[in-house]
Amino acid sequence: MNIIKFVTKFIKEDIAFAHCDIPCGIYDPHQAQLAAHTVVRMTKMLQDIKQDDNLTSDHTIARITHVKEKHSDLLEEELETLRNDYFKDEHFNEFKNLNELFVKTLRASAKARQNIDMDSALMALYGVLEIAEIFYKTKKVTPVRIKSVYPTEGEVVIYK
Amino acid sequence: MLLGKLRIIGHSMEPALKNNNIVLVSNLFYIFKEPKVNDIVAFKFNNKKMVKRISQIKDNQYFVIGDNINDSLDSRKIGFIDRKNILGKVFKII
Repeated sequence: MNIIKFVTKFIKEDIAFAHCDIPCGIYDPHQAQLAAHTVVRMTKMLQDIKQDDNLTSDHTIARITHVKEKHSDLLEEELETLRNDYFKDEHFNEFKNLNELFVKTLRASAKARQNIDMDSALMALYGVLEIAEIFYKTKKVTPVRIKSVYPTEGEVVIYK
Repeated sequence: MLLGKLRIIGHSMEPALKNNNIVLVSNLFYIFKEPKVNDIVAFKFNNKKMVKRISQIKDNQYFVIGDNINDSLDSRKIGFIDRKNILGKVFKII
């Protein structure tokens, strides 16, 4: 550890915004939900694939892994946009668990990306659903969970 | 701000400062000298701290711009920043 890092370890960290958004006001947790479901689906497909030691299965694994990676990326990007650009201090004050929820969900997404780990993929999905519910509450509409029509058979959050 | 540690959120200061960089900020640089064009400064705006680069100075008012100029929310939208709202100079990424 260098001297600057050691000395500044004792200074409390704060946040400074370097906003890059054109503040259009268009935010939606829908894309994050789709991405989370895709990660769950790709994880299941990787678990189910028959490793028959030929080029075809290698190719299929590569393609599924690529899609899992891409959608984990998308999920994390969408979550960061919601956390950094949409949710404001008053939201974090009202929903005390919101920040923790983002941290937990992002970590689960990272683990689901690094491994073939259904628990983490599901944890990321459940986190996104909770964040989506909070999002709609801040929009003063009532969130509802419905069963998705995806092969994951998980839920999605919409609003009434 | 004698010495502050700020985590950068956003991409408007790229490539100089990237999202999640942690920087040190101090107003000690501005005790004997005033902020100058090209300094990267932290300042208060709407009860938030923001980080941008000074591009013009006029009557103790500072026009600040993001380095990622095509995609930055800065003085072009929020106007000039008062000297009193400048918290300090960003002088080190740690």
